[in-house]
Amino acid sequence: MTILAHVFTLLAVTAGALLFLAGTIGLLRFPDTLSRLHALSKADNLGLALIVLGLLPQAASLTDGLKLILIWLLAQLSAATASQLIAGSLNRRKSGP
Amino acid sequence: MMTTTTPDARTSRSGLILRSAGFLLLWMILIGPAPKDLAVGLVAAVAATWTSAALWPAGARLSIPGIMRFLMRFLMQSVVAGIDVAWRAVTTPPAVAPGFVTFRTALPAGMIRATATAIMSLQPGKLPVASEPDGTLLIHCLDRREPVAQQLAADEAAFCRTLTDGGQHG
Repeated sequence: MTILAHVFTLLAVTAGALLFLAGTIGLLRFPDTLSRLHALSKADNLGLALIVLGLLPQAASLTDGLKLILIWLLAQLSAATASQLIAGSLNRRKSGP
Repeated sequence: MMTTTTPDARTSRSGLILRSAGFLLLWMILIGPAPKDLAVGLVAAVAATWTSAALWPAGARLSIPGIMRFLMRFLMQSVVAGIDVAWRAVTTPPAVAPGFVTFRTALPAGMIRATATAIMSLQPGKLPVASEPDGTLLIHCLDRREPVAQQLAADEAAFCRTLTDGGQHG
């Protein structure tokens, strides 16, 4: 069982890290600021979700597991809010006075 | 729009106490249950409760089955969104055809619409950038060739089902 849990952790965390890498590649390669925001908000969120999922079997207690999930939820919330604010301010600057 | 009604006018006292307890529990999960930290946690929980009661749209009620269905859909869509954008980033040249679409939402302006657009920005290929008072949303999409309007309508419908009245309150 322990070995299975370790293998699961290894696979999920690696997949999560690859998504962070892909998000960063998108940040560098996408043509405009708004497209880059897509890369940041979406790939990183799935990456963090996979890392959290992978770390859950290694959590020492139920509270530690819940804390990991909460951190992911808070990161989702801040990613959604921040990308909205950045997109809105870019749009106002473009169409503003 | 945010109203200036005091929180107590809309939410019962027991409801507020329950909500504070929930926030305190979240705080304790994040920071730990050490008694010396608890005073700060209590202040944070009260502040969070006040803020949530002040921002909560008047009359809006959550539907538990709607939320469960929404969460399942949201998690699936998050996976699709992450893999989609990762794939677009690593192909040569990057597989994007960015552009704008407009979408007319039935959701009232204010917190409900702001929440819906924030959630939309985590869904595949879409990023709401502006919201007009008449309900027109300006949405940036990574690929204009995708059926964005249908996807947006489905996102909005799933969001509306989380509210018992389908999001008709502002």
